[in-house]
Amino acid sequence: MDASTHSVRGSWDTLARNYEARIARGLALAGSKVVPAAQTTALMEAVIEPGDRICIEGNNQKHADFLSRALADVAPERVHDLHVVQSNIALAPHLDIFESGIARKLDFCYAGPQGLRLAQLVKAGKVEVGAIHTYLELYSRYFGDLTPRVSLIAAEAADRDGNLYTGPNTEDTPAIVEATAFRSGVLIAQVNRIVDKVPRVDVPGDWVSFVVEAPKPHYIEPIFTRDPGAITDIQVLMAMMVIRGIYEKYGVTRLNHGIGFDTAAIELILPTYAEELGLRGKICRYMSVNPCPTLIPAIESGFIEAIHCAGSELGMEHYVSERSDVFFIGRDGTMRSNRVFCQLAGHYADLFIGSTLQIDLEGNSSTATHARMTGFGGAPNFGSESRGRRHGSPAWLRAGQEAHREGMPRGRKLVVQMVETFKEGLSPTFVERLDAWDLMDTFDLPLPPVMVYGDDLTHIVTEEGIANLLLCDTLAERAQAIRGVAGYTEVGRKRDRRMVEALRERGAIVYPEDIGVDKRLASRDLLAARSIKDLVRWSGGLYAPPARFKNW
Amino acid sequence: MIPARHSFLEASARARLRGLLDAGSFREFCGPSRRLTSPHLPALGMPVAFDDGIVVGEGAIEGRPVLAAAQEGGFMGGAVGEVHGAKLAGLLERALDTRPDAVVLLLDSGGVRLHEANAGLIAMGEIQRAVFDVRAAGIPVIAVIGGRNGCYGGTSMIARSCDRIVASEEGRLSVSGPEVIEAVEGIEEFDAQDRALVWRTMGAKHRRLIGEIDTIVADDIEAFRGAVAAALDDARALDLDALEAEHARLATRLARFEGVKDAREIWAALGVNDPDRVSDIEADEFNRLVAVLEGTRP
Repeated sequence: MDASTHSVRGSWDTLARNYEARIARGLALAGSKVVPAAQTTALMEAVIEPGDRICIEGNNQKHADFLSRALADVAPERVHDLHVVQSNIALAPHLDIFESGIARKLDFCYAGPQGLRLAQLVKAGKVEVGAIHTYLELYSRYFGDLTPRVSLIAAEAADRDGNLYTGPNTEDTPAIVEATAFRSGVLIAQVNRIVDKVPRVDVPGDWVSFVVEAPKPHYIEPIFTRDPGAITDIQVLMAMMVIRGIYEKYGVTRLNHGIGFDTAAIELILPTYAEELGLRGKICRYMSVNPCPTLIPAIESGFIEAIHCAGSELGMEHYVSERSDVFFIGRDGTMRSNRVFCQLAGHYADLFIGSTLQIDLEGNSSTATHARMTGFGGAPNFGSESRGRRHGSPAWLRAGQEAHREGMPRGRKLVVQMVETFKEGLSPTFVERLDAWDLMDTFDLPLPPVMVYGDDLTHIVTEEGIANLLLCDTLAERAQAIRGVAGYTEVGRKRDRRMVEALRERGAIVYPEDIGVDKRLASRDLLAARSIKDLVRWSGGLYAPPARFKNW
Repeated sequence: MIPARHSFLEASARARLRGLLDAGSFREFCGPSRRLTSPHLPALGMPVAFDDGIVVGEGAIEGRPVLAAAQEGGFMGGAVGEVHGAKLAGLLERALDTRPDAVVLLLDSGGVRLHEANAGLIAMGEIQRAVFDVRAAGIPVIAVIGGRNGCYGGTSMIARSCDRIVASEEGRLSVSGPEVIEAVEGIEEFDAQDRALVWRTMGAKHRRLIGEIDTIVADDIEAFRGAVAAALDDARALDLDALEAEHARLATRLARFEGVKDAREIWAALGVNDPDRVSDIEADEFNRLVAVLEGTRP
């Protein structure tokens, strides 16, 4: 064998040698791993190369905001045509770099507040969208074809060797760090403080290339705080139906909750309504969900035994630390979240329940509406049938019996959408055709941005009743089951009364009286906590809500 | 577990009256079936309410006859328009004829209904004059504050014209609302988004500590009922001596706290050991604190 045949590429360590060169340029500038904040932009010009794939850590809560601004300040003639691969486009500098030509291509999951501007930049040809991913999908591609060359991350503290303590909010960090550090990528961390010894090593220092102490602590948004004061009687009614018609019926013990007021209502009537039904210990024992303050009464009254979190929530730190039997707490006494693991736990749970903005007659749902490009969050992975699953549980098997009435026994994950028939502004939730179709054209996407596909969905809960799609045999039946709970929307008014009655007899449509839900009891009086202050009381003063939620 | 309770904050005007008065004793005047609605709102394309956002009538508290009114915060923030104002002023004037043991006003309002501009302003003057007439006749007027809209603008002046004010800590009492102050003076002066700041500046606990509210109760209709019942005989003198004493008190307070930037500094100056905790403590602990500060502890 001659030398030319056993090496088709000539060399096998170009990435590693390129990494060494970048680090040498960085060190020549900064002198050490710990870089002064004033030199951050210069550091980026030294280590980032044109065309690099780059990840700027940012999720719903935590953001590498200082590094993001520093990147927006680099000279576009030195750093340009970057390919951004990050979950969340939330801050103005994330899009400034596209406006100035520093970045060109984008793969992302979510663009909440920047959704409108992103849409404009796509139209103007400044942003070339690779795809709108789900979180797990993008993380997975970090380990496939979208590994970042440079990642900018945020942590709570670092020591001088670069060991990082992320604090309770770990979220995307492990996925980004693992992919970048182990394929010769550059990892730059902004930290709130540099200390002699970190409380806990979440990221080993030899994976980290450079550390910058940011002038201000990284931004954290309290996104999972729901003021019980805003929960309506209708939401309580829907929550009662979910508890009786789904949680009790199937015996759901392991589940994932979305983060809206609808699911908050469920959490807040566990200690009252579900307790009276004798369901403590029988439902809602293990959850994959963020440490939402509305969970406090259910935890305190012994409903929930364990919660794994994707992120953290401002004000919940002390409470969570004091409940180490429930949350995943390190030896240092603080929580460690991990979005990948939480998503996986939710993927293999028995039930996902969330909300959406539009549902069509097949049960496809989307949160994308006209002229906004927001993405989906965690719902597509949580809210999908996990076909890799092989372990049984009563809920999964019972749903499987309903879904597969003939042939080989199989289980089925319960995927539930909980919606009111009309949204704010009296626009109907149920539509013949999703806005997503128009978005596909507007943004030149290969497929409409659907959040949860109809064939993954098992139940729709509205204030009118529950549609059990598992018990529908044809698309025509499915459409009628959906019309049957769609209230006074156009879609609902076109129901075929005879078919709806037949579906109701079969249990494919259930109304509150069919499952023993007394509508007269559906009021805020059922909520175990009716205000943020009540949550503080339930927590024994351990929950410290952000000022914006305090009316005292 | 938190015991079930009947929140005053969340209740409607009618539910508040139902809970405050003896069961079955309330008789409403000019109720919704009369359909006395604002003459101004339709011209502006605004919806009307059949009671114009206020419930007035007579009833009893622990068997004692009272006249009572409750503003419905759910309709235009409890704002006072022409009909709303006339119902309230009329109720107060009726007290001069029927001589109840007290008049109880459940206030939940941002003040004058701007849509009715001068009609609302005139109503405020008439209500305030009627309050003083009733008080001059020896009938106590008791203001109750514990709704979502607090008690602002002209309504706050009505409240401070009463003999007594009973409030929950969720209640607020101030002439100008937080957004108004921020708009006029700037966000550095007052950040209306900072709810904790809003409540420690305008909230009932602070107003109690600086002597503008008489009784603090938990957000519970029963607690309000007890406090109002206890205040039925608490008329405050309405004469020149009382007025001069009040002016002197306000002058001293102004001199003492003029340069202070935050309510917590005032609390510290009043002798509160741990001012940071004041916002968080419950009504009963707060009342014990006030008793110690005022030297009234038994």
